[in-house]
Amino acid sequence: MTRYRTLFIAALFAGLAIGFAFAQDGAQPAPASGTYGDTPKEYVPFGNFTQPYKTFFLTPLEYTGYGRHIPEPEHVDTVRIGFIGPIESTVSVATGGVSHEEPLGVQMLNGARLAIADANRRGGYHGKTPYELMVHNDNGLWGASGSEIVDMVYKEKCWAILGTIDGANSHIAIRVALKCEVPVMNTGDTDPTFIETNIPWVFRCITDDRQMCYLLADFVFKKLKLTRVAALRAGNRYGRMSIDEFRDAAKRLGYPFLEELQYPLGSTDMRPQLERLKALNPEVVVTYGDAQESALVLRQMRDMGMDQWFIGSDRMVSDEFIQLAGDALKAGKVAAGFPFDPTRDDPKWNQFQDAYREKYGESPDQYAAHAYDGMTLVIEAIERAGLNRALIRDQLAAVKTWHGVTGDKVFDAIYTNRSPATLALLEDGRFNILTQDEVFK
Amino acid sequence: MVRRWIIGLISVLAMIPMLNAIGVELKGEPFVYADWQTFYVKDGLPNDHIFSLKADGDRLWAGTEGGLALYEEGRWTSWTEDDGLPWRVVSGIAVSEKTGEVWLGLFGGGVARFSGGRFDHFTQLNSGLVNDVVYGLTILNDDVWIATTAGTSRYNTVTGEWNIYTEKNAPMDEIWCYNIDSCKETNQVYLAVWGGGVLEYDVAADRWTDHHDPDGEMEIDLYRDDGLIHIITTSVSFIDRILWASTYFGLSRYDGRHWRGYMDHDSGLRSNFINFAKGRSATTVYNCTDKGLSALVDFETDTWVSYYRESDEAESWTAKISIGADTVRTQPVELTLPNHFIITCDFLGDDLWIGTGHGLARASGAGYWPGLKTGKTSLALPGREREAQP
Repeated sequence: MTRYRTLFIAALFAGLAIGFAFAQDGAQPAPASGTYGDTPKEYVPFGNFTQPYKTFFLTPLEYTGYGRHIPEPEHVDTVRIGFIGPIESTVSVATGGVSHEEPLGVQMLNGARLAIADANRRGGYHGKTPYELMVHNDNGLWGASGSEIVDMVYKEKCWAILGTIDGANSHIAIRVALKCEVPVMNTGDTDPTFIETNIPWVFRCITDDRQMCYLLADFVFKKLKLTRVAALRAGNRYGRMSIDEFRDAAKRLGYPFLEELQYPLGSTDMRPQLERLKALNPEVVVTYGDAQESALVLRQMRDMGMDQWFIGSDRMVSDEFIQLAGDALKAGKVAAGFPFDPTRDDPKWNQFQDAYREKYGESPDQYAAHAYDGMTLVIEAIERAGLNRALIRDQLAAVKTWHGVTGDKVFDAIYTNRSPATLALLEDGRFNILTQDEVFK
Repeated sequence: MVRRWIIGLISVLAMIPMLNAIGVELKGEPFVYADWQTFYVKDGLPNDHIFSLKADGDRLWAGTEGGLALYEEGRWTSWTEDDGLPWRVVSGIAVSEKTGEVWLGLFGGGVARFSGGRFDHFTQLNSGLVNDVVYGLTILNDDVWIATTAGTSRYNTVTGEWNIYTEKNAPMDEIWCYNIDSCKETNQVYLAVWGGGVLEYDVAADRWTDHHDPDGEMEIDLYRDDGLIHIITTSVSFIDRILWASTYFGLSRYDGRHWRGYMDHDSGLRSNFINFAKGRSATTVYNCTDKGLSALVDFETDTWVSYYRESDEAESWTAKISIGADTVRTQPVELTLPNHFIITCDFLGDDLWIGTGHGLARASGAGYWPGLKTGKTSLALPGREREAQP
């Protein structure tokens, strides 16, 4: 009996060891830990050392105010929904004195307008009243987005608001929305902290940089098995916040960045920073910035004979980046996170693309597609709730899963989409989008 | 033998609730505000959505979503845009002890000075105000300090000079100033910066001190008392050399050396979502949460009194007395406000005023005592029902 028990225990240990070895060897995406943000276990803050005293964002945010009791107006000429996004060329303090976000904002506006047009084609609110989009430019100047939200709420009487892209301006907007008690749907700000403020009026339907960073970290450290990473990113808030989870993941895996440098927005010469990085002999250079600067970094890297992997944000996945990077793309070894899978064969997505091309003469990007989805979610919530901001908020909060033109959306306890990020891998001068299964197969 | 052990074990287990009940004995009796009066538009308010309150001697100013109101000698007087108020939403009020001028923070409308029945309007286009979305203001000596969504402005009422504080000249990780307080004794200004923790500014020394959440993570609080609970701060209140800082993740107390954190699972806080906290002393603070008003009445004994609605259908509110998170008893109070999402509060003498999303209420402080009253022999006050919680 004792002998059998010994054999059993030995076999058990052997099995565990073999399993562990396979797990270590295989290039697998990190398993979700069931914690906030689908954070893989090895990326959980302080997870290697201790349990936190309190973990936030695991239970649904509540709105406990009076708003649900406010009666619906007897008559409105139109049902107004606010839009705020960077649609005009303005110099922005918030983005470091330079504004590159108008192309993204215009796509976002186009997507939102298409959703409004579709709803009005169906007859508008409850089949009777047209929806009207109240369009505001987010010029980012001196926190102007706050005043724009105030105007939308008190002067234009909007029932909900969609916007914006810049992280700082989005934060300003949602704090105002909290006081004014109006739902805000965000479709273009991928800053992880945007949603981590406990505001029960805020929703986001785009996969954020937390998800994209985890995927990029898995790709670099587990798939490529590289460990020497250096960073050169934009000096603005976008660069600072969006790289955060990648930096943390690297640190928690035991491969902290060799160096993290930044460039001021508007820079055209990244060589001084790249010289420093080159001296460190990294295997990967990671960047977070707009398409223009990211392309510049890549070109100058390649010119300097730096043939390392170049990893970046979804803003790189654009025609602008491809054009500006030019010959620097020939060496390949470029990848970026992306918030959805535009290569899937989905009738809804295909139909949207056709409609968008017909109306605007170009293909929709991720900002257009998510704005269409976000606006559709808002309109559906208004249809169910009626004209009451708190009830519209409740309807948005009740959405757990939803299928839009960008695919399946899965909303967590703080109402942000947690559907998996995809990887944009440069192949033959263009980005191919790979699902996580395809990356790690 | 085994049977005796089992019986013994069951006996010990059965005593646990009793031990718990014994463990939550009050060390003294906290004052409970039981007598309340409510005010709405029908009573003279310009709007039922209350944004700010400010006690001014024996008067009370109320900033609402639809205008300004003053309660004086039992009557309300109000001002709206029709009366010259530059913008309808009054989000902050400060009164100059020196001149009696009333300074108004206008949510999206800048700042107004109300003096002699006239409103003077300051905006980011006609003054040094850094942003028109104003969350709060305070007056220290001759300066009006204004917390806006894009930095803080300082206006010297004697020289007319404006100064702006942003990330360029202050340790603001973010510039989103959410509330502000000041103290004459220390000659300091205290800022709650959304995403930037708490900042102290020593006016004489022109020196900033910043306080952040030490774990640096949004989704966790690593250790309870390691520092500020979270960097999403919503208000700061400095009194008796104690800093109280509210967040949407709990409450923090700082005595200059030690931090203490409070959350809804480890204290009498009704909710971690605190819109505003007002310190009454070094040991007492009132917290306006989305689920009622929670007062830490006595820091030393961790004695709390919370005021809230048990349900939407409840006719009146309930007061809950607790030691930490352990309830000692509950009792009904004569408060009928329809919602317990509390936005602001202030003390008018011993009276307590609270502003909500729908209505304003005053609690009579007749017979008020600070902290705990010890030596009481009976807890059988009218309407009180002793209830030991498991």
